[in-house]
Amino acid sequence: MGKRLDLLQGTLDMLILKAVSLGPLHGYGVLLRIQQISGEQLEIQQGSLYPALYRLEHQGLIASEWGESNNNRKAKFYRLTVAGRRQLHTETERWNHMASLIASILRTTSEEV
Amino acid sequence: MKPFARLRSWLKWIVRRARLETAMEAELRFHIESIAEDLVRSGVPQQEAMRRARIQFGGIESHKDAIRASLGLRLWDELGMDLRYSVRILAKSPAFTVIAILSLALGIGGNTAIFTLINQVMLRHLPVRNPEQLVAFGDSEYGGIAGGIDLGAFGGYFPWDFTRSLQTDPGPFQGIAAYCSFSNKVSIRPLAASGTSNASSPAVLAPANLVSGNYFSVLGAQPLLGRTILPSDDATPGSGAVTVLSYHFWQQSLSSDPRIVGKSIAINGTPFEVVGVMQKGFLGIKQELEPTDLWTPISMQTVVLQQPSMLTPHSGLYFLHLFGRLSPRATSNKAELAQSQNWLNQQVRNGIREREGGTMSAARQLEISRVNVPLVSAAHGVSLIRSQYGESLKILMIVVALVLLIACANLANFLLARAATRKREIATRLALGSSRARIIRQSLIETLLLSLAGGALGLGIAFAATRVLIGVVSQGNAYIAMDPTPDTTVTLFTLGLSLLTGILFGLAPALAAARTGAASNLSAGSRTAQGGGAKSARLWPKTLVTVQVMLSLLLLVASGLFLRTLRNLQNQDYGFERSHLLLAEFNARLAGYKPSQTPGLHQGLIERLSALPGVRSVALCATPPISAGTWSSSVTIPGYTPAPKENRHSILNRVSGQYFETAGISMVAGRPFNDADSANSQKVAIINQTLASHFFPKGDAVGRSIIIDIDSVKGPWQIVGIARDSKSGNPRDVDRVGMTYIPLAQIDPYLPADSSAASATGLAASTVVREENQDRYAGMILVRTIGDPAQSIADLRAAVTSVDPNLPLVRITTIHDQMSNFITHDELISSLTSLFSLLALLLAAIGLYGVMSYNVVRRTNEIGIRIALGAQTRDVQWMILSESLLLLTIGVGLGLPLTLLTTKYIKDQLFGLSALDPMTFTVALIVLSAMTLFAAWLPARRATKVDPMAALRLD
Repeated sequence: MGKRLDLLQGTLDMLILKAVSLGPLHGYGVLLRIQQISGEQLEIQQGSLYPALYRLEHQGLIASEWGESNNNRKAKFYRLTVAGRRQLHTETERWNHMASLIASILRTTSEEV
Repeated sequence: MKPFARLRSWLKWIVRRARLETAMEAELRFHIESIAEDLVRSGVPQQEAMRRARIQFGGIESHKDAIRASLGLRLWDELGMDLRYSVRILAKSPAFTVIAILSLALGIGGNTAIFTLINQVMLRHLPVRNPEQLVAFGDSEYGGIAGGIDLGAFGGYFPWDFTRSLQTDPGPFQGIAAYCSFSNKVSIRPLAASGTSNASSPAVLAPANLVSGNYFSVLGAQPLLGRTILPSDDATPGSGAVTVLSYHFWQQSLSSDPRIVGKSIAINGTPFEVVGVMQKGFLGIKQELEPTDLWTPISMQTVVLQQPSMLTPHSGLYFLHLFGRLSPRATSNKAELAQSQNWLNQQVRNGIREREGGTMSAARQLEISRVNVPLVSAAHGVSLIRSQYGESLKILMIVVALVLLIACANLANFLLARAATRKREIATRLALGSSRARIIRQSLIETLLLSLAGGALGLGIAFAATRVLIGVVSQGNAYIAMDPTPDTTVTLFTLGLSLLTGILFGLAPALAAARTGAASNLSAGSRTAQGGGAKSARLWPKTLVTVQVMLSLLLLVASGLFLRTLRNLQNQDYGFERSHLLLAEFNARLAGYKPSQTPGLHQGLIERLSALPGVRSVALCATPPISAGTWSSSVTIPGYTPAPKENRHSILNRVSGQYFETAGISMVAGRPFNDADSANSQKVAIINQTLASHFFPKGDAVGRSIIIDIDSVKGPWQIVGIARDSKSGNPRDVDRVGMTYIPLAQIDPYLPADSSAASATGLAASTVVREENQDRYAGMILVRTIGDPAQSIADLRAAVTSVDPNLPLVRITTIHDQMSNFITHDELISSLTSLFSLLALLLAAIGLYGVMSYNVVRRTNEIGIRIALGAQTRDVQWMILSESLLLLTIGVGLGLPLTLLTTKYIKDQLFGLSALDPMTFTVALIVLSAMTLFAAWLPARRATKVDPMAALRLD
């Protein structure tokens, strides 16, 4: 587990929004999907997943309803709302902008200064 | 996402809390089971998989807690816990809780009661459209019929023709309307179906007000039923017999008859069609003690006022008030407002010039050009109660606020003391990880609980107190426009006040509690836990007690000043006997008597009443020895040349033979009236000392004659006696006023045939039908009794009924009650201020006692050591007493300048003494010192009882 990356502060919300944007998921499914997309490299703190889900729902970015899971059990499924989609879009843009900015800073060599 | 939607979602979670909890539980369990299933799929045995899943996921409860926190529900839960904890703490010390809630309830209740009155008398707007646009022309508070004055003078009196011209051309105003300056009682009978007045059913007396046709439209008041009075109703004098009823009258006297509109009622015997009923809160623009029940067009003046027509051009009778609705711009814009004001003044000045006609002296021209009729905001209506009680209510509001402050200081002290004893508990909580914010919060919740409970109880106390207060203000009128039921404004005021109070007395103890260090207090012994503490913690209680002493001194002095004012008002020389006198107001005109029929009626009343047992003497008069309304005129003395503009004003009274014996006004010279002064004998008059010394400084009044400048009672009258000066109105008036008395029996029941009024209206001088003299009526019966006058009321009623069962007795009072009406607000303010200052003194005493007792307990050790080392009882006692005396000295030292500064502001409310009255200050200081010594004496005595051995072994 040691080689897995810890999540950067404040990015969990964005990842959850991304995960449910690909299709409705239950809480455990969100966890699995993030790990799967990241190629098992990201470790999500178990304790922060559900508070984040409830907070996003409270903020109206995702919505939930009870449905049947693959193994025919009752589970709570989350899906992206319109507001959530908008939020995911802006967050993504901001992240990309920030990432390229930081990357370009880190690429800087002494001659360029 | 909008904050509002988020709040809604949060509230949804709180309301559906149980559902949230089960959903969380189910979701988390599903998660664990899913992990376990995956593990089983990878080959782990079922039981082991479940175990590992639980370990991997962690405790369900901590997940739930994190979710609750993320939803902001933790705060809510903690508040709930703090609340339960606070209730438990308060329940554990019931004595403290009860005292705290009671003193808060008294403080908050007093504030709420006074605020209820202030709200109703001063703050509430008229229930009409845009009330802020309404302005009265002149202050309009008083009412009556005036003559020989300038337009708009003496608070806004106008004659009919002038008001008509402003109604038609309101200039920059949206509209200008008029109403009779007073409401008068009319007799009302329901009409039988045939349309004839149903004489068998009893008449109801109700106040009616004459209003112009546009009164309701300018006011912007909508009726509940039917319509209001329209300009067409008021178009022609003598026509337009319609009336609009108040909600109160419709409900009380017509049982809320829903089909009343279109029916007729007889007002003073004339049928009027009811065209509408007003909304519940509507009382007209002028709020009187006894609110108006009916409105009728001014055109019906002769019927409603039962007086000859005043609706003629140049009648010279000024009886109407005016008000206007400003344009929206003039309401907000000072310059526009000034334009409206100028326009009005221009109309008034032109009106005066037109009325006077002819050529005027330059001085008069200048005087007219300076006439100013101020626009007075009427957004709250026109109310005499407001100007009479406004100042008293403001003072009382400050008084009750001070009492509440003292109560707050007490509670803060109690809580500070308790916080000191709870230091260990708090230190424990801090050590166990509680945050300081949480401890402050819990402490504040405790105080807020107390203050809100006190506020709720205070609302109840206020309701009861307001009912009593309104009873006092209404002076025994059965129904008045004030209501003790708290409305939204009052409830919000009480809630806000309770919260403020809670924070005020709770914040210091809460902060003190939180300042407790965690480690030090746990390790130290209880002795240090109580005896130590920051220096500020010991300073606080003493500061609070000093403030209490200061405020108590202020309140004591104020109540002393008001009490002495009241006594000065009551004990001054009124000039007449103030005991054993009964007054009964009657109205022969309403009972249908013509002036020419009054001699027989008066004779019958005097004979029947004189025969009553326990009655010493009986008299009839126009106005009682002291009354709000007076009959007055200027007088002329033949052979006396007055200086220009000399005041020849005299109050008049028409009285029957025994008046001076009955009223107890003694004669200074000459003789009183007697039965020999009849219609056929020489016309005689009696004047008072002031008038005599004014016109006859040489003392030769008796035998000279006097002419009254009113045609109907002109005279000349021969002066046969000089009566002592007596107060005729407001007991605060110290100016001496001239008075002239004439015998009722010598007033001709008919107007003089050659009167200028008759010739002016074009009647032949030798007309056969002579107009009757309205100044022949008496309106008041005076009965001097041997015993308690109140005992004779039933006899008096029976005697009047036996003379004429239809003669309405409007009001029966003793002279004592009649006089209290003039000093009601002095009685109100002095009794309430005394009551509140005693309450404040009691609270301050409790506070001082509490602090001193606590000090003794805290210093038990020290006192024990002192005694063991040989201190005498006297030394120990002095140690405690000197501390309280120091507090007293500081409190008085700061309180005296404060009081001296403050009493200046109540100077106008005082009578017969200065705001720095040394007597009052001395008594207040003595009372305060006695209270301090008494409150400190008990703890001091307890200190001497300290057993040194027990004290040293303490802990």
